[in-house]
Amino acid sequence: MFLTVTTKLLEAFSVNIKIFFITLLFAMPLGMIIAMGSMCKFKPLSFITRVFVWIIRGTPLMLQLILFMYGPGLIFGYTGLSRINAALIAFVINYAAYFSEIYRGGIESISKGQYEAGYALGMSKIQVFFRIVFMQVVKRIVAPMSNEIITLVKDTSLARIIMVVEITQTAQNFVATKAIIWPVFYSGAFYLIFCGILTVLFGYIEKKFDYYRG
Amino acid sequence: MAILEAKNICKNFGKLEVLRGIDIEVNRGEVVAIIGPSGSGKSTFLRCLNKLEQINDGTIIFDGEVIAENGVYANDKVLRKIFKKMGMVFQNFNLFPQKSVIENIIEAPLIVKKEKKEDAITHARKLLNEVGLSDKENAYPCQLSGGQQQRVAIARALAMNPEIMLFDEPTSALDPELTGEVLAVMRKLAAEKNTMIVVTHEMGFAREVASRVIFMDNGVIVEEGTPDEVLSNPKNERTKQFLNRVLK
Repeated sequence: MFLTVTTKLLEAFSVNIKIFFITLLFAMPLGMIIAMGSMCKFKPLSFITRVFVWIIRGTPLMLQLILFMYGPGLIFGYTGLSRINAALIAFVINYAAYFSEIYRGGIESISKGQYEAGYALGMSKIQVFFRIVFMQVVKRIVAPMSNEIITLVKDTSLARIIMVVEITQTAQNFVATKAIIWPVFYSGAFYLIFCGILTVLFGYIEKKFDYYRG
Repeated sequence: MAILEAKNICKNFGKLEVLRGIDIEVNRGEVVAIIGPSGSGKSTFLRCLNKLEQINDGTIIFDGEVIAENGVYANDKVLRKIFKKMGMVFQNFNLFPQKSVIENIIEAPLIVKKEKKEDAITHARKLLNEVGLSDKENAYPCQLSGGQQQRVAIARALAMNPEIMLFDEPTSALDPELTGEVLAVMRKLAAEKNTMIVVTHEMGFAREVASRVIFMDNGVIVEEGTPDEVLSNPKNERTKQFLNRVLK
């Protein structure tokens, strides 16, 4: 029995992991684009971007999953989107919106003096951003990003709402069909270990930036 | 022959007129001290020279090249080329906190001037020696006192071999004890015939080092002349009033 549960949970957890990594891979750069949009000096663009972020952050991820699962079919008659891909799109967009706000906060927290010092030395805007500002932003967003990324680990279970087989649902199935509770605790251990690894990793990154203040 | 000419510089923030027709010429090797009460526009004027603020009207010519003409700046590419030759030192130092002292100094020579790294480092070490911080090249800004940070900032500006140095209240954020070490470096630069414009509240420094003192108030130049003329025998009532207040 233990072996069966282990195999099933592992199999299911690989889906959670897949959602996790693919979301990160796409949401991190997409978040940057959204952040640039919301900081854009062209008002209509920044307004639209901010409304978009408001909608995404202001509605449940669960609702967005349902929308991307059934929306394309019911609104546009497009049924080619698999469950997992619908889930991935919802996750990427949702997390990109959150990341964009973290990026924006990080970028806007850098003092004007840093830019001015760069410009006064004859640097271009691009040089100032990448050579001077960027790494300072990274230092400042490590903590909020790690928070968000650890939340993502657990949010991946929401994919079950559109019937994507993942670990929490699998564990629940054992409760329902075999009347045993321990797979629930067992599945919790998967999350704990994974988040533990991430915590150590982020702690390491934070330490890497400890060599300076500011 | 003037290295810097600013003619009829006007600048407003919304309805507030901060600069109302400033004319300044600076010759090579000259040290010009700009003094005046807070809000007189002296810092703003300095910042307009390298487009950290934008003028609304007026012409700025540096070393024969047009920075701005009738309120319109040259394009960024042209400006960057000119700004390479203008060093600026800020009130709040604005060192790059994630970079060590030597990295701060070589950054612009490397990426703006495309100097070879060894050359940049050799030059940086020489400058650090000049500002008395040879032992700090691997320190980070957060490990330095304000006075040391400002001296690094001066070295960083000098690393570009500027034709002119702009100092924007370089000692205003420092306590009196640290002010001295920064002023000592600036005295040395003046003695070496560097062209400098210094916006300052240090009357002693202005009197001793400046070749010319400009008193600004309310966005205009009220009085201008040798330190002796302006600081010891001011003709204008407003200048007298200001000096009476600061010198007591």
